[in-house]
Amino acid sequence: MKKFNLRLFTAIFASFCFCVSAEAQTRQETFAITNAQIATVSGPVISRGTIVIRNGLIESVGGNARVPADARIIDGTSLAIYPGFIDAYTSLGLSSPTPQRSPQPGQQAQPTQAAQTNQTQPSNSNYPEGLRPEANVFEQLKAGEAQFETNRNAGFTTVLTVSRDGVFNGQSAVINLAGDSVSEMIVRTPFAEHITLTTVRGGTYPTSLMGTFSALRQMFLDAQRFQEITKMYDKNPRGLRRPEADLSLEALIPVLNREMPIVFNANSEIEIIRVLDLAREFNLRAIIAGGQEAWKVASRLKSQNVPVLLSLNYPKRTAAAAPEADAESMDVLRLRAETPKTPARLQQAGVKFAFQSGGMQNINDFLANAKKSVENGLDRNAAIRAMTLSSAEILGIDNRLGSIEAGKIANLVVTRGDVFDKSKTVTHVFVDGKLFEPKLPARPSAAGTTGGQPSALANVGGVFNITVEIPGQPLQGTLNLTQQEAILTGSFQSQLGNVPIKDGRVTAEGFNFTMTVEFGGSTYEVAVVGRVSGNQISGTMTTPQGPISFNGTKTP
Amino acid sequence: MKKITVLLFISLFLLTTSNIAVFTQTRKANDVLIRNATVLTAARGTLESTDILIQNGKIARIGKNLKASANAQTIDATGKFITPGIVDCHSHSMMDGSVNEFSYSVTSMVRTRDILNPKDIAIYRALAGGVTAANLLHGSANAVGGQNTTVKFKYGHPIRMGVMETIRDAFMRARDYRQSWIEYEAKVAKKDKTAVAPRRNLELEPLVEVLEGKRLVHAHGYRSDEHLNLLLLADEFGFRVATLQHALEAYKIAPEIAKRGTGASIFVDNWGYKLEAFDSIPYNAYILWKNGVNVSINSDSDERMRRLNLDAAKAMKYGGVPEEEALKMITLNPAKQLGIDKRTGSIEEEKDADLVIWNAHPFSVYAHPEMTMIEGEILFDRARDITNRAALARERETLEKMEVNRAPASGGTAPAIPREKREAHRDDADGGHKR
Repeated sequence: MKKFNLRLFTAIFASFCFCVSAEAQTRQETFAITNAQIATVSGPVISRGTIVIRNGLIESVGGNARVPADARIIDGTSLAIYPGFIDAYTSLGLSSPTPQRSPQPGQQAQPTQAAQTNQTQPSNSNYPEGLRPEANVFEQLKAGEAQFETNRNAGFTTVLTVSRDGVFNGQSAVINLAGDSVSEMIVRTPFAEHITLTTVRGGTYPTSLMGTFSALRQMFLDAQRFQEITKMYDKNPRGLRRPEADLSLEALIPVLNREMPIVFNANSEIEIIRVLDLAREFNLRAIIAGGQEAWKVASRLKSQNVPVLLSLNYPKRTAAAAPEADAESMDVLRLRAETPKTPARLQQAGVKFAFQSGGMQNINDFLANAKKSVENGLDRNAAIRAMTLSSAEILGIDNRLGSIEAGKIANLVVTRGDVFDKSKTVTHVFVDGKLFEPKLPARPSAAGTTGGQPSALANVGGVFNITVEIPGQPLQGTLNLTQQEAILTGSFQSQLGNVPIKDGRVTAEGFNFTMTVEFGGSTYEVAVVGRVSGNQISGTMTTPQGPISFNGTKTP
Repeated sequence: MKKITVLLFISLFLLTTSNIAVFTQTRKANDVLIRNATVLTAARGTLESTDILIQNGKIARIGKNLKASANAQTIDATGKFITPGIVDCHSHSMMDGSVNEFSYSVTSMVRTRDILNPKDIAIYRALAGGVTAANLLHGSANAVGGQNTTVKFKYGHPIRMGVMETIRDAFMRARDYRQSWIEYEAKVAKKDKTAVAPRRNLELEPLVEVLEGKRLVHAHGYRSDEHLNLLLLADEFGFRVATLQHALEAYKIAPEIAKRGTGASIFVDNWGYKLEAFDSIPYNAYILWKNGVNVSINSDSDERMRRLNLDAAKAMKYGGVPEEEALKMITLNPAKQLGIDKRTGSIEEEKDADLVIWNAHPFSVYAHPEMTMIEGEILFDRARDITNRAALARERETLEKMEVNRAPASGGTAPAIPREKREAHRDDADGGHKR
């Protein structure tokens, strides 16, 4: 009797949950953005039009789309609307501590191996960790949409997310950057199987690059045979020994049958050639991720119909200047110069490509580097397409995402100012019809159209000679502050080096920022609060040891 | 038993008609006429004041006062010496990643051709030392190592390639594996519906090819007792060992090697760098040659590869190998060991025009290559190299000024510490070990 009740309770509870979520969906707000410039991407730009968003979808779009009576109206005057940006290769939502980049020859001190978990995961696979293609990000994703805030604020609404562990990175998924449960985030799963040409840790075969190739080749052969003998057995099991079940080989069958693409991380020309050879050997549907030197192999990519998930994490020198160090090699210097030209060259060769962040530290580099590729010859519309519709096409979701059309998912990004302009702001982001408003720095009320904040901001820009009152040894330095409305950037130069200021804000009273200072072999986070009055500056720097005051004067 | 002594190492070489992994021929070489040189043929003695005519990448004619077509390139080699391109029978150039797959003692499934990089600068440097072909071997960490690749050093061309009981065990497994395929094929022939194909085993397939005589064996080792044991094992399984690599004590068993038609690929005088190398003597080449063994002198090092001409000269000094025989030890003999002597290794009509033009006799310490060509295509030209340096310096200056190549204004990581990619002989017994 007790058991029965429990079951009844579970059933009631489950149906309650179902009702709640269904209702939450039906209750989603309806929006109409009016008078905006609309880059549909699939069609011509609508210079002044309206988009109606209902029930998570784009209900209508056009120059004279009707505004429904129940819609919340957003005045889009002087705003531009794009399809939500798609980042075609990330590890967002995965708990892996620091997703590491695949080696980039143009950047020094890069790890030579993809991040690998130190602890062995329990598994019934017959293969060592790192050679388990059955791993699936659906099972690894963390719930909760707050984790995506930074990327969303930069205009991203959809990403491909992939684990970076192992030779087989496992199966990836396309997710929307909203939704509190993992189920709500998923757009498509699994999308593809992924491979990084690294080695397996702990002395287990393969320990070398050539071993990795042989191990992959043997696994593909084994999977082919597994499929054949399983088919044979299913047809008529009599007289045959039962084929041994194998979850790793089973996961490769859709890849061998070309039902699932396989994404290879490859950047240099020779890496790309090697993986294209492997793909051809087993007739796989290959996609290249990274692709720094893909232009050198463009004709082959075109003829084998292989798209590229092109990293916008362009290499740049990170090493400090050191007169005693050897000069950098010409190969490295040339790679850094040539990489921003890759998108234009791929476009010219007719190779399909989509942009991805490539593990970049600051997601704002995405648009900055997309702009660099335009400066290096890429057609502007192609650049926008490479972060919207082209990405959706390669990811196989272009029937629901990637352009602004009635019936598609309401993933939109609204900007003030040109999308490639550094001073543009993202004003609204819609994911699955849900509105997110990035916290904007307050604007002067004269220009404000979206109910702006009062504009009594302090005026703090300038170069200041300051003294930090460290007991017993006052520190002299130069504080260089650049104010752009409420945003503060700049640097602090002293005996401790020249450090950039971070998270700088201007308030009505003064300013605040943080900086990272290296001292005596340790790194300290310092929080700075100050104000400017006339040509005088003063404030406090808070270190883990406590607050220290500073003051100084503005240089003329 | 943590310490693994590398007793003996076999590398595997596929013997087929196209056994040189050739880079796609994308550049068509013009006809070339080299005039009035001293030609060290490595096959038919030394020819004074002789011309060589190259057509379609082959040596078309050797003789005096040869005529070339109007569009042929003519090189005046008066006072210069010409040798065949040098063939290095033991190298680890061009390989990305570790040259050893350390995990198992039998790693016959791995192939060096999967990881070759045709833009390795070591190739260009080897060309500058007169080397035109090489045997790129897996390292020596395993009882049975991986499959090698024989390449011509066409720098920059896109690539298109194309412990005794353990070894016994591997060959026994290979024999069983071969048997399982024979049985399967017999069942299929009888239309047996229950026939299930054996699992393709990439480890054992190359060993079956050895047993069937389709694949050459290069046996890596130092001590003569180990090499003799391997020769006896090969007798037992019925295959031939193509070369003994390193073979520092091979002089002790020279008649046994000669009798089986096995070659020896040795260092000319590298000695004492590890315990197994203690009985190495510089007379090794001479004694082996005297006993009728096909001897080649190899480098095993990107650095030493550039001076193989002087290593060959040492074979004359120690014991007195005749000049042409010494030259053969870095040209025709290794070509024979690699099964590519029909195409390269000596200056003879019909062979590939793989040639080196030297400023002086190649056995002189003052000699350096002025031009190195493969199939008639000039891939190293000292004069052009020197001219290009100014342009490269200008390019560097422009590149270094670009924002992406400038050091960050503050902070930044430490500059990379330069590391030699492939160490010369050093007995690290770790990831850097490659013999």
